[in-house]
Amino acid sequence: MTLTPIPQPLTFPALTFAKLAPPSFLAAHLTNPKGSTRPSGRTPTQTRAPTCNTGSLSHANGSAVVRCGDTAVVCGVRGEILKTGDVAEYEAREVKGGDEEEEDDEGDEDDEGGKERRRKSRRDDTAEMARLNLLVPNIELATGCSPAHLPGGPPSVLAQTLTQRVLTLLHTSDMVGMAPLRIWFQPPRETTGATSGVMRMGGDMEEMDAREEEGEEMARAEVKAFWVLYVDVLFISLDGNAFDAAWLAILAALKDTILPRAWWDADREMVLCSDDPVEARRLEIRDLPVPLSFGVFEGDGLGKGSKEKEKEKEKGKEKWVLVDMDGFEEALCREEGTVVVGGGRRVVRIEKSGGAGAGMAEMRGLVDLAAKRRKEWMGVLGVH
Amino acid sequence: MTDRRRINGPLGGTAPPVFVSSLTSKTTSPAKRTRAPDELRKIFLKTGLTPSASGSAYFELEPSTPTAASECLASKAPALKLTCTVHGPRPLPRSAPFSPQLLLSTRIKFAPFAARQRRGYIPNVGERDLAAHLETALRGVLIGERWPKSGIDVVITVLEGEEDNSWNKGQSGESGRTGGWGMMSILSGCITVASAAIIDAGIDCIDLVTGGVAAVVRQPTAPPQVFLDPCPSDHEEIFAACVIGYLQTRDEITELWTKRSIMASTDDNRANTMEFEPLVDQAVEAAVAARLVLIEAIKESTEVKVQTSQFGHPKNAAS
Repeated sequence: MTLTPIPQPLTFPALTFAKLAPPSFLAAHLTNPKGSTRPSGRTPTQTRAPTCNTGSLSHANGSAVVRCGDTAVVCGVRGEILKTGDVAEYEAREVKGGDEEEEDDEGDEDDEGGKERRRKSRRDDTAEMARLNLLVPNIELATGCSPAHLPGGPPSVLAQTLTQRVLTLLHTSDMVGMAPLRIWFQPPRETTGATSGVMRMGGDMEEMDAREEEGEEMARAEVKAFWVLYVDVLFISLDGNAFDAAWLAILAALKDTILPRAWWDADREMVLCSDDPVEARRLEIRDLPVPLSFGVFEGDGLGKGSKEKEKEKEKGKEKWVLVDMDGFEEALCREEGTVVVGGGRRVVRIEKSGGAGAGMAEMRGLVDLAAKRRKEWMGVLGVH
Repeated sequence: MTDRRRINGPLGGTAPPVFVSSLTSKTTSPAKRTRAPDELRKIFLKTGLTPSASGSAYFELEPSTPTAASECLASKAPALKLTCTVHGPRPLPRSAPFSPQLLLSTRIKFAPFAARQRRGYIPNVGERDLAAHLETALRGVLIGERWPKSGIDVVITVLEGEEDNSWNKGQSGESGRTGGWGMMSILSGCITVASAAIIDAGIDCIDLVTGGVAAVVRQPTAPPQVFLDPCPSDHEEIFAACVIGYLQTRDEITELWTKRSIMASTDDNRANTMEFEPLVDQAVEAAVAARLVLIEAIKESTEVKVQTSQFGHPKNAAS
């Protein structure tokens, strides 16, 4: 009779195990009896602490460097000038001129009608901003930030989707105010009466007469150009959760952006800027929506006996909602999504695809987490 | 041609802001150089910024006039900021022809916010030219025979570059598409940062290659003089400049690039600063100085590597 050899369990270092069987490796961590931890040592709902550094680029109007774990991003915002004459089919909108606007807003706040009017003008502003393409975000991954993203080719699908998501969120969240982006022409007072009629083209006669009467009291200002904000995001290093890092960098850079005072010079027929930092203005940032990306990892019952597998089939698959995934986890989760929460727990955007693992209860929890994360981010951005 | 895969902004095109000061005062003197002729700007060099790449490094030169930064919106003193990642050595695709040596490919890309004029994403001639120079500088150091049938990619992103003129002087001169004097110090920085990243990736080299720049510069009162590590906006006029890729222990030059006219050396030993050889010698001096920084950076990163290999990565300590 031969001795049956006692089977020796195979042993690997953790890293080899992670490479050979990534799903089982992650599942083994999450089913840890002492409480689920991820390979990075975080709990499933723990995010990586971000660090942020602003204003380090001298050629940009605003800039930020953000690092979340091993994902590092540089964002530069640069303002350029778009003349209304260069816009095809430009229609001048009725907007209040430059400096008086803020006072008017304050006054309107009391009554309901004013609020409604303000909301409508904000909507119109955002629509105008989108129509004129005043915000131009681009995300560049082809900087060698990870072996999967090497330069020398068109932007990858991931880069294109990220750019589109950022653009949509910039517009739908309505976070950048239109007022500082307008460049005005204030005609000198003496010529008011003569020019006001000429400037208002397309209005009917009655209205023009009304304007002229008004014009005698006040010089009619006109929007002659706009600031276009080129928001460029470059990834220095990518280890998962590209969207959150890119968005945080954009927020920080927009908050840091200073636009010089600009005006239309009628003699030179061009926009001039003042290089005095005292006159420069910051952007109007109305809200700072903060995203939280997550993924749902479904254990396939790997590394378990067949009996346990049977049991699992009855009660459904095990699943974990992982927040702020790193590159290793992202490769294993089919179901991914993002919750964006603004000030006062306003849900700005929810996107989710790839499965039905996260239900109502999970999503509610994620919104809570996103609100918590917003607080953390506000601390990093220096907003209280 | 529009790039449909990116967001291009308004169709009518946009113009960079024009500052009043650039129109009114045309003859403002450039910022004066405060360093001694043989004094380099402080270099910051750090490796290991991109953990997923085989090797990576970050290089920064401090702005030459740090105090002026906040005073005026139009002319901020730029610093030189470069990041470099190295991917590989990895096997060539099966379709590639056999190569007995390591294939090196270099890419240099300027960030859109790297220069005063916004740059597009499509690579231009100047970037390709710089990359070709960098390739020559690096090819001489790598021991390519040790990796047949494989390739490495060296990718450099210029986050912030130097420019010839400050705003006030307008956009005249040769700072056109191919770039002016600023390109010289960018190339020198690229050589040093790529060298650090290649060593971080653990690729065998015969020596450490570092870059150095020197330039013959007009001076208001004195005769022209050679300056190490010139910052183009500091000087009124640069007559000629030279970038070098230098291996100190072997006393070899892997890359040499001079620009503008300079006299070939004459036989008599008169000390003429307008000659080729003194200029190259000074560039070598600059490269030797940069090497000290490179060695320190490598030592630092090696210490960290040794520590993590002994005690495990802090990230994996919990598992």
